[in-house]
Amino acid sequence: MNVVITPAMVGQVVVSGLLAGALYSMVALGLALIFGVMRVINVAHGTLLTMGAYTTFWWFRLLGVNPYLSLLVSMPVMFVVGIGLQRAMVRRVVNAPELSSLLLTFGISIALVNGLQLAFTSDLRTVEFLTGAFVVGGVALSKSRLVAFGFALVITLGAYWFLQATRFGKAIRATSQSPMVAMVCGVNVERVHLYTFGIASALAAAGGSLVAIMFAIQPEMGQVYTFKSFLVIVLGGAGNYPGALLGGMLLGLIEQLSSLFLTTQLSEAVAYVLLVLVLLVRPTGLLGGRAT
Amino acid sequence: MRGLVVAGLAVALVLLVLYPMVASGYEIRFMLQLFMWVALAQSWNLISGLTGYVSFGHVAFFGTGAYATGILITTHGWHWAAASVAGGLAAAILALIIGYPCLRLKGPYFAIAMLGLNEVMRVLVSYFEGLTGGGMGLSLPTLYASVQIYYAMAIAALAVTGAAYLIVTSRFGLRLMTIREDEIAAAAMGIDTARHKLYAFLLSAFVPGVVGGLFARDQGYIEPIAVFPLAFTITMIVMALFGGKGTVWGPALGAATLFVLQELVWVRFLFLHQVLFGAIIILVVLFMPRGVLGVLQQRYRLPRYV
Amino acid sequence: MTRLARTALVLVGLGAAGALIAASALAQGPVKIGASLSLTGTYAALGQNQQRGYQLCAKHVNEKGGVLGRKIEFVFYDDQSQPATGVRLYERLITQDKVDLVMGPYSSAITEAVANVNEKYKMPMVAPMASTTAIFKKGRKYIYMVQSPAEVYLEGLIDVAAKKGLKTVAIINEDTLFPKATVQGTIELAKKKGLQVVFVEGYPKGHTDFSAILTKVRAANPDVLGAATYFDDAVAITRQMKELNVSPKMYGVTVGGDLPTFYQLLGRHAEFVYGATQWEPELPYPGAKEFVVSYSLEFPGRDLSYHSAGGYAGCQILVEAIRRAGSLDGEKIRDAILKLDFKTVYGGFNVDQDGFQVSHKMVTFQWQEGKKVIVWPDELAAGKALFPTPPWSQR
Repeated sequence: MNVVITPAMVGQVVVSGLLAGALYSMVALGLALIFGVMRVINVAHGTLLTMGAYTTFWWFRLLGVNPYLSLLVSMPVMFVVGIGLQRAMVRRVVNAPELSSLLLTFGISIALVNGLQLAFTSDLRTVEFLTGAFVVGGVALSKSRLVAFGFALVITLGAYWFLQATRFGKAIRATSQSPMVAMVCGVNVERVHLYTFGIASALAAAGGSLVAIMFAIQPEMGQVYTFKSFLVIVLGGAGNYPGALLGGMLLGLIEQLSSLFLTTQLSEAVAYVLLVLVLLVRPTGLLGGRAT
Repeated sequence: MRGLVVAGLAVALVLLVLYPMVASGYEIRFMLQLFMWVALAQSWNLISGLTGYVSFGHVAFFGTGAYATGILITTHGWHWAAASVAGGLAAAILALIIGYPCLRLKGPYFAIAMLGLNEVMRVLVSYFEGLTGGGMGLSLPTLYASVQIYYAMAIAALAVTGAAYLIVTSRFGLRLMTIREDEIAAAAMGIDTARHKLYAFLLSAFVPGVVGGLFARDQGYIEPIAVFPLAFTITMIVMALFGGKGTVWGPALGAATLFVLQELVWVRFLFLHQVLFGAIIILVVLFMPRGVLGVLQQRYRLPRYV
Repeated sequence: MTRLARTALVLVGLGAAGALIAASALAQGPVKIGASLSLTGTYAALGQNQQRGYQLCAKHVNEKGGVLGRKIEFVFYDDQSQPATGVRLYERLITQDKVDLVMGPYSSAITEAVANVNEKYKMPMVAPMASTTAIFKKGRKYIYMVQSPAEVYLEGLIDVAAKKGLKTVAIINEDTLFPKATVQGTIELAKKKGLQVVFVEGYPKGHTDFSAILTKVRAANPDVLGAATYFDDAVAITRQMKELNVSPKMYGVTVGGDLPTFYQLLGRHAEFVYGATQWEPELPYPGAKEFVVSYSLEFPGRDLSYHSAGGYAGCQILVEAIRRAGSLDGEKIRDAILKLDFKTVYGGFNVDQDGFQVSHKMVTFQWQEGKKVIVWPDELAAGKALFPTPPWSQR
């Protein structure tokens, strides 16, 4: 009882995959930064995204102003929240075994998610702003996803520029290559950690704001994005920042194509199977970061 | 001292045997699930506490055992005890297949691969619905066997604790802990690290398989999302960590303490208990990363077999 | 602390204890009814709706003097949307808290697991939010169904489609117990009505991006699309249908489409969408109007859905059965429930010897100008279906 797959359908899902992929790249870049700089796997990353999404929701609900402008609020707010988390808690587990950071951030995530649930209830919320699609040659281009794609691309490229061109970006890259050497060279590693967590949280928040305009949101939505970000950074090569861009696009395509050619049910497994295969062949990811 | 401990354990054992004769249905089920958590936390400890390889998807073995057992009972009419052992074997086979390649991965990569394993298992179980009932779940024939399953769970919990004791006090255990401290050095010392890790992994997968089988029989109904939840993995890790990972009694202590706490305190806070759970995790990691027994060990120089 | 103070404290304590004993000897305490519900986790929103139904029913029953001369009182726990926790909590309610009776949890999956517990203790359980037939066809004697089975959720959609002369239907569903049962039932119904099922595919729980599955639906080009959903996915699918320009002549969802928030969230995009529901506030069932009014007074601003009404009705049924049985004895209540044939705020209640519901009726509605207009079955219909659903560009 299945349908015959036509080239037009493949075109449609490739477009959907790339549109989603840019968003994955942006969100995963945040996770990759934290992992690269601190060797911390931040399980609460998706929860920070959720908080960004709620910021946009309330912005739109209370002010009724263009929700894309809420990025100007959600990103700085979550930047500060991220710095707070780093300063109060995550800082203490940076040099501990990975189990500590996994669990700590998981604890933070549970507490925050349920806090959100208490504050805002678990009711589903949407931001009805930009709906519908442009139809180009049989391929429907969702307006909100197209805009999200644009934002994600600009923000991600901006972050790369920041990493490549600014002094502080260089300090971040230096720290992720070798904290010791960076410290010897006069980099304030502690400060790099602090701002890295802030930047990563802001990237997650940007993702959340864009997601809020595309999909309905609820307190538990974030975990999916945490998992996807894991996939992205491992596929792309953890600690390798351009790898996150590649990994995100790749994940978007894998998800969409596998649910087209197989079933939606199986598509969730395909990405993970690929992940394990990639790890086995190249334990440091496709673009390969430094070995741990 | 040692005699005293043995005598104490014997008394506790007798009490546990007699317990179902005086306990109410709820109390039996409570202890049954407590034993389940003891067994799960202990199993996790065998691989992750001893070798340092953090399994972030240990519930995959639990779910695999649950489904293997459920299928053997419903479609092949097996007795639940035999089916649960088979569930353990199924989990061990899974561990063999994925452990061989995955145990080469280091640190966070191993953790994420294990997380992926759990997702994959859940999806596969949902997909092959002819065998597993898929998303409809698997409904076992009705059977009231709480007391027997109580004993079976108790045996599983004791067996894995006993195994932990034997391992920690053996050369095998010492080698595992050497791997945890420095794998390259361990290999340089002539330890066959791959084989040691694999053995520990198999053992730590077998028991959750059995326990998953008993759980399936006790529940009477299983579905993919109920036997492959990430929350189970997290709970067993937190329990082991709270009691003291890498110790013999730590995971058991952690499981018992947290489970009792949950039952006594958290059901009173209908909406707040999850926030409290998150807070407890944070506090344990930040202030007691070695767990209760770890702290005691440091302070009082307890023997290794504690 | 001085000696005097200590003595005084002891005396006060003794006095309080004595008063408590005396009080409990004088008056019989309330009838305790236990229930664990999904107050957190994936089913939280719906489980909380059901809980409000229980609470309101208890309030109303007590205002009218209770039952058997005693008040009723609910003991609630949270099962975190997990069957294993539910099982333990019902065991606790029955053997530890010694509640007199229990009421069902939320969702088919959790009810399926919990049903073994109350069965063991021969304690009758009215299960208002379980609609999967299999639960009631396993030879259990102490569980009773309140609503129509999952299998007939899309009956109205299929029936209307057949009458309009449509030929093909596609079905997508969340891959869990309840929606899957709906799919099975719908395939049967479609065959019976002469419709051809051209596409069926499930998606995992928690799925948010439906691009690929909807692309396949678009390619299959069905006249009718039925989605066996919970709430989140119903919203997401409807939004993404517009984005992908999927526009069948009829499109209906199961759970979630009936919630007022469905329209609030989707706005105009919800227009023309068909939904199936166990209950609607305007259906002319006895007491329904009063229920709706007092619900909005008691829980201002909270969703009123069939889960609340079902919870309320389940509790009504239990109380009525206690009244007729004249005691809290499980066997007598069971007999009374099996003989019951009456209408609650939720519609008809009458179960066969297995406890399977045979009297309750589903309705199918369509969103028209922000209102749910019941279009099926004919005897309850308040309006006509707007057919066919126009393409997205003309809505």
